[in-house]
Amino acid sequence: MEKNVNILFYIVFNLILQSTYCHSQEMKDEVEKLIKSEFGISIKINFSKYEIEKKVSSKIEKQVNQKFFGSSVYLYQITSKEKIEGYALLDNVYGKSLPITFIVFFDNNGNILSTNVLKYREQYGGSVKNPKWNEQFVGKNSGSSFEIGKEISSISGATISVNSVTKGIQKSALLIKEIIESGE
Amino acid sequence: MRITFLTLFTMQIFNHCLFSQDFDFNTSKVTIGGYGELHYNNEKTGEQDVKTMLDFHRFVLFFGYNWNEKWSFKSEVELEHNFVQSGQGELELEQAYINYHHDDYFGFQAGVILTSIGLINENHEPPLFFGVERPDYHNRIIPTTWFGNGAAIYGNFNGFDYKFTVLEGLNSDKFSASNGIRNGREKGYRPKADRLLYNARVDYLNLQGLRFGASYTYNDAKGDSTNIPVSILELHAKYEANNIYSVFEIGNIGYKNRSIESSLGYYFDLGYDIASIIDWDVELIPFFRYSDTNTSANVNDNSVSEEHYHFTQFMVGLSFKPISQIVFKVDYSHRNRESDNQKIVLFNLGLGYMF
Repeated sequence: MEKNVNILFYIVFNLILQSTYCHSQEMKDEVEKLIKSEFGISIKINFSKYEIEKKVSSKIEKQVNQKFFGSSVYLYQITSKEKIEGYALLDNVYGKSLPITFIVFFDNNGNILSTNVLKYREQYGGSVKNPKWNEQFVGKNSGSSFEIGKEISSISGATISVNSVTKGIQKSALLIKEIIESGE
Repeated sequence: MRITFLTLFTMQIFNHCLFSQDFDFNTSKVTIGGYGELHYNNEKTGEQDVKTMLDFHRFVLFFGYNWNEKWSFKSEVELEHNFVQSGQGELELEQAYINYHHDDYFGFQAGVILTSIGLINENHEPPLFFGVERPDYHNRIIPTTWFGNGAAIYGNFNGFDYKFTVLEGLNSDKFSASNGIRNGREKGYRPKADRLLYNARVDYLNLQGLRFGASYTYNDAKGDSTNIPVSILELHAKYEANNIYSVFEIGNIGYKNRSIESSLGYYFDLGYDIASIIDWDVELIPFFRYSDTNTSANVNDNSVSEEHYHFTQFMVGLSFKPISQIVFKVDYSHRNRESDNQKIVLFNLGLGYMF
């Protein structure tokens, strides 16, 4: 009897753990899945929390007119047979009030391969998750124009998130250029 | 045995979760936003000026707080026409609710909330619509801004965005031939809770640049002397891509126990961003609007004329946005009443912002 209660307790505890505590694990799994679909399965993923140099972040923030979410971003370096295949940068921007988590994949020259909004946390503006909208960024790099209404279409009912995410992706493109050039 | 389980729990926490704490982006944060609009209105009947006014129509502040990524508070306080005294100006609490955002497909909110109806009621910041004043349709048919005390669930499945709202009801004593249900809104001021309003909306969002959808609203509206059940069906579509900006909305209000059986209206906007042609880094959008609204579209006796509250309107105008959140507007229109062919000429200038 006591054993059964223990097992039941264990299951319930686990369910609570899974549902409340491990959302970040879901995101981690999703990122790995995306990396593998982008670069194939026979790759090595090197993950690090990348501290952005103050000089670099101020320069980019000034150009894009949006602050970085924090002092660091998450950097994935993807290698295959000791050769760098590409990169991914995971970062956040603020929507109307809550963070929007997104990831940008780059080839080894810093050209965007794909973008993906991993988590959207508000009622309005969730359309920035739409894959069709994200396709517009493919091929862009640090030198490209990211103007909304021209290169990037706006979305009705998602004005603020379109604005934030577009700027966030442009910041990533500028930052990856710095990272590649610094040889890290 | 207990020790074994305890060890398992601990291992699970460490293996499974703490490792990925890095991806936890919960941050408590206060957010402030707002919008506002200054209007110059000029109305002429014949050569006679019937109205000239310089009005700071709306000043609105948003205030919000996030406890974590699921639980947040949002509010909107509005001051209309600068100054409030008995019968002048308005101070309104248009939104104040607790929001629980479970995931993309499900969220919940309760407090002072907005009815989910038409394109403008929930997205009413001035840079988001053409014309200095909100379209006639959103005054006479859909009474924006329509808010009240209640609760809603919302979410998004594969591009289908839904919201179901239960709200305080309307006061049917205040329905009128000229304004439809507009004056029946209780605006959260001690509303009766025995006849709630039900409102459901679905939109499809996954076609590039296009949003279209429909909503249905029902309320068995009651006042001290009348009981008029109303049902509102409206369809809406907005296209914003390739420098084209276009809107179409149509709505019908059906009434029971009343000589007026329905109110009907629609409007159509078409604009094109000409700044794109000369590669100018702003938005400069001339637009055209045709609007038709009739608050007494169907009448079952002779008490009210079906033509007297039937207005058609042609409008041309220009929106200039130096940046996407600031807009300068100008519009010129002819509004025509069917019954006596009375023509009103309207000229408006406006400045609006949002942040």
